[in-house]
Amino acid sequence: MVKAVRGALVKCDASIKAMLVDIDSKNRNDFIIEELDEEHVLVKETKVNELKQRLQDMMKARLKEPETSDSEG
Amino acid sequence: MSASSSQALEYLELLPRQTHTKLYEQPSTVLAVFRCMLPHLAKSIVMAMLYMPSPFPAADLDAWFRPEAKKEKEKALSVLDQLHIIVHRVDASRQVSYELYKGFQRSLRHALEGSGTHGSFGVPASQPDPNKVDVAFLDDYARKQWENILFYMVGSTVGLATSGALGQDVGTGTKQLLKMGDFVKVVNGRVNITQAGFSFVLQDTNAQVWSLLIVYLRNAAALGMSETDVLSFLFMLGSLELGQDYTTSTLSPTQLKLLEDLSQFGIIYRSSDDAPTFYPTRLATTLTSDASALSASQSLSTSLATTHTDTTAKGFIIIETNYRLYAYTSSLLQIAVLSLFTKLTTRHPNLVSGKLTKESITRAVSLGISSAQIISYLTAHAHPQMQKQQPFLPPTVMDQIRLWEYEGERMEISTGYLIKEFATEGEYRDVAGYAESLGVLVWRNDSKRVFFVDRIEQVSAYLSRKNRAG
Repeated sequence: MVKAVRGALVKCDASIKAMLVDIDSKNRNDFIIEELDEEHVLVKETKVNELKQRLQDMMKARLKEPETSDSEG
Repeated sequence: MSASSSQALEYLELLPRQTHTKLYEQPSTVLAVFRCMLPHLAKSIVMAMLYMPSPFPAADLDAWFRPEAKKEKEKALSVLDQLHIIVHRVDASRQVSYELYKGFQRSLRHALEGSGTHGSFGVPASQPDPNKVDVAFLDDYARKQWENILFYMVGSTVGLATSGALGQDVGTGTKQLLKMGDFVKVVNGRVNITQAGFSFVLQDTNAQVWSLLIVYLRNAAALGMSETDVLSFLFMLGSLELGQDYTTSTLSPTQLKLLEDLSQFGIIYRSSDDAPTFYPTRLATTLTSDASALSASQSLSTSLATTHTDTTAKGFIIIETNYRLYAYTSSLLQIAVLSLFTKLTTRHPNLVSGKLTKESITRAVSLGISSAQIISYLTAHAHPQMQKQQPFLPPTVMDQIRLWEYEGERMEISTGYLIKEFATEGEYRDVAGYAESLGVLVWRNDSKRVFFVDRIEQVSAYLSRKNRAG
């Protein structure tokens, strides 16, 4: 029997996906419904924004970016 | 189909059948739907079927299409199906045939032949108006009202809320509507623009009008109005003639109330609140006309954009390859919009200058403005000097804006439904193929037999039809 599951399809690089899976596993699997392939995961619709935020925090912590100089106005 | 009418189409498609049936009683509505909501192929199909005496067998329809155009055919039929314009009939011998809904057919015939006494295209005032106004006045009025609304939204975000009377003329009804549509939020008496509001401001005028009207429609019931009444009135407005005055005596009480609100938006003009006549402005008459929606509303939106500037030129923005931006404008509205994504540094009487920076673009992106919106805004308002080259903007700047956006957005998200657990490969291929031809398929994985769609209604209808048949 065919099934339909409501959710948000997230397409991203494999490296980003690894981070998403990491976030998910550290939070009682609260975000991801199903891992589809290397670049796609199905995420709970209500949790998308929280997941985005956490990903951004994680990236900020891991990647230090050189400050861009905008000083000359 | 323009971007603005596709927004309206999306709204229309989700209405239930009863609403459609009621709407299609008005020839003006039917004509408007036909004119600007349907893809061209769907128009041809409707036209072909309009005077057919009997249902049209599906096999005959198929014969009209080349096999490789199956996708286009399915798409056109699905729009017609969603809008309840055609109906599928399956007779005793399992032959599928199509038929136009009777109400739609009758009204479209009326509209084309001018038959019937429906007055649905508006009734021009019988007596000449002593205070007749001309088109230039109407354009000016519409522009002023609409700009006020925009400024009300943008003003406070960029810290100009206290600078005088701008945004003061916006009626309380309009303010409430903007709040209901989630375009602005009021925090401690201060108006803050939301993400939806930002994309609203950057749209072209016609799309803005539709966005606001759709919010209005959604809340019509709460205001004690019937949605159908409002919608058919809007469609009627679209078929009126600019510069002509129309009588209010044939309107229903709901529509009279609607007139008041629409004149606040600048969509119609009345010389006083109890005037026996009203004038549609350009905002109204371009609502449903596809061709003029482009040319006329563009001239309106560009003139909207340049009302406060002294220059007569249409474009006012210069961008150099070093990301510096110079805008020849003194309009607060334009400065406010620019400051959404530019780091503005200096302001002169007729010029502001600044720079596009990574910071300013990512801030805009995090507020929900897309790089495409920024680029199209800058292109639309490029200074004539910039317009001498192709493309108008320096390619490096455009690329960099996109890259900055991409850096902030590592995930591409689409909401919808994952369809899985197909019993056979054949069933999977068939249903996925159907979803693809409808244009709702987002992603598929053939080896796992799963796919993802952003709208499910028609796919599930297709599945249940299949189950019953099989």
